[in-house]
Amino acid sequence: MADAATTGHDHEKRSFFARWFMSTNHKDIGILYLFTAGAVGLISVAFTVYMRMELMQPGVQFMCAEGARFLGGFSGEECTPNGHLWNVMITYHGILMMFFVVIPALFGGFGNYFMPLMIGAPDMAFPRLNNLSYWMYVAGVSLGVASMLAPGGNGQLGSGVGWVLYAPLSTLEGGVSMDFAIFAVHVSGASSILGAINIITTFLNMRAPGMTLHKTPLFPWSIFITAWLILLSLPVLAGAITMLLTDRNFGTGFFNPELGGDPLLYQHLLWFFGHPEVYMIILPGFGIISHVIATFSRKPIFGYLPMVYAMVAIGALGFVVWAHHMYTSGLTLNQQAYFMIATMVIAVPTGIKVFSWIATMWQGSITFETPMLFAIGFLFVFTIGGVTGIVLSQAGIDRVYHDTYYVVAHFHYVMSLGAVFALFAGIYYWIGKMSGRQYPEFWGKVHFWIFFIGANVTFFPQHFLGRQGMPRRYIDYPDAFALWNYVSSIGAFISFASFLLFIGIVFYTIRYGKKIETNAYWGDHAETLEWTLPNPPPEHTFEELPTPDMWDKQPQH
Amino acid sequence: MPVGITRFDDRAPEESGALLHETHGAPRLHLVIRPHQSLTPPGFVWFIGLTAGLMALPLLMALGRPVLWGLLPFCLAAIAAIWWALKRSWQDRALREDLVIWQGWMRLTHKAPRKAAQIWQANPCWVRLRRIPKGAKVPDYLTLKAEGREVEIGAFLSPGKRRDLQTLLERELWLATASRP
Repeated sequence: MADAATTGHDHEKRSFFARWFMSTNHKDIGILYLFTAGAVGLISVAFTVYMRMELMQPGVQFMCAEGARFLGGFSGEECTPNGHLWNVMITYHGILMMFFVVIPALFGGFGNYFMPLMIGAPDMAFPRLNNLSYWMYVAGVSLGVASMLAPGGNGQLGSGVGWVLYAPLSTLEGGVSMDFAIFAVHVSGASSILGAINIITTFLNMRAPGMTLHKTPLFPWSIFITAWLILLSLPVLAGAITMLLTDRNFGTGFFNPELGGDPLLYQHLLWFFGHPEVYMIILPGFGIISHVIATFSRKPIFGYLPMVYAMVAIGALGFVVWAHHMYTSGLTLNQQAYFMIATMVIAVPTGIKVFSWIATMWQGSITFETPMLFAIGFLFVFTIGGVTGIVLSQAGIDRVYHDTYYVVAHFHYVMSLGAVFALFAGIYYWIGKMSGRQYPEFWGKVHFWIFFIGANVTFFPQHFLGRQGMPRRYIDYPDAFALWNYVSSIGAFISFASFLLFIGIVFYTIRYGKKIETNAYWGDHAETLEWTLPNPPPEHTFEELPTPDMWDKQPQH
Repeated sequence: MPVGITRFDDRAPEESGALLHETHGAPRLHLVIRPHQSLTPPGFVWFIGLTAGLMALPLLMALGRPVLWGLLPFCLAAIAAIWWALKRSWQDRALREDLVIWQGWMRLTHKAPRKAAQIWQANPCWVRLRRIPKGAKVPDYLTLKAEGREVEIGAFLSPGKRRDLQTLLERELWLATASRP
């Protein structure tokens, strides 16, 4: 409108339904993502508790063919093992966590909320597409849960093929459950691709004036690289599972050797997506941790540019190492040698990041608020997971460890603990910004210590089980593995208790937390653009683009 | 650059060809105001090129097998979608205001994406330039008023840029008043 409008325009307050169901505001959508992911996370964590209950003692006490038992299993009645139920648990724990919890929380939640704020954009490039992404994610979750309750293989409910949906297991699984699962991954994949396109466009075209790529804060960078990985790898997954679907229902033979197909090719395609997927999970965490460590060390991040290029390198290397998940599937010696070397190279950029975080803390004026505790916890568990990763990258050693609990321990240390510690660090760091109220510091610290102890007690003994040769994905085990399984189960219960405490902390904070008046409540070293805004930020932010003096404070620029 | 200023020297009228006015002759000043966009055309080429290159990797793996035809549509669709999205984002911000000032005449053209251009013109002598520091659509809202119509200028710039624009326009309107040579 070229004609002047000299009076300000005010929005009427929108109804609850209009605000949360038809939202096109990136901040509201980010909060929706966080809460939905939290709810799905609770379901998925409940599965792990049930699995650890089953694995606590040798023999099968809970997952019985006579019917699933819960507390009654401790009294030890007669029980015929129900392997299908076990398989369903591991499958949906994997699918929900990989597709519907961690990525939606870190990428969808924090990415949506803070990436536009940090680059000084008024909103995402395509706000209505953003709403579509969120609701497709909800639809995907619904399909995933429906799949679990739909008739599946072995005449029971749900599919028990593992989250990787390997052919021919997945093509031969009976019932419609598997088809639902494929649709769930399709819809969530479409949601992620649309979200990624939105985020890439926003990052590339809507950075504030003067904010060149080499001046953009690390969290937007990490979200951008994650979005790029999603854009590149999810179409491959979509293609692969579409072919699974046609193999199952229309008699095609893409992965069926009898019809000239190749089941191994499915594994290649799955891991071509699957390996970048684990970096999509961890990269936004890298971004969050960088800001948290810099803030609480009261120093600018050490080596900003190497940090950026390390993330770029990790993203790029993620695409050329996929077959290290498949050393035992009959690769040639040269292929194994290549994938082994390429995998080990990833330690270089990862090392740059870890050392830069430590260098940021070096001689800093460190205080240990809850976000910082989680950030240091992240460094600890991520480094452990990284070191076992180097061990597993050796094709020879992997012969021994393949499909043992060592692998389970490794990937839970990097993804479950690494990503989740980063997630909690982000939540405690920003909850005051998002809600306008501060969490209770004492209970935040209690949460950290219970979770840190619980998670390590859960997963560290699994290294020992792997070394002893206990294979993964089994409902039962010989008595020799009893001790560490018992310890691991105790750890899982402690972690679950900490998760319940966390839920309590979040709702307490939202209702009764202390109101925060200062914009930059973590002090002057939290200097990205979101800290120039009130808590919570108003509905419309940066409609007037920010000027460089508001954000350009890094001495190395 | 959100504000582009071209000043026309009286001695080089041939450069101002397209903006030649039938009664007022060569323009004094041409101002182009555009919203900020951070993606440059080379940036677009780099991004699409790298994306397409990396996307070729899984396709090479499937070359010569039927699986290629299962992957290709999805990969091409993803590239088409990001291509479209980046172009669309440019287009959505293709807002443009052209202010041309001749000796004794001025014209402001406001072109929004997917809409017809809106034109306002007047004699600078009668134009009132007004800056509203607070309470308007944006802080330091800048308007031009003449011939009974008040129009905004540079509403999408930062407040500082609008204050600079006000200083520039005050001087130029005074210089363009017809009575002065």
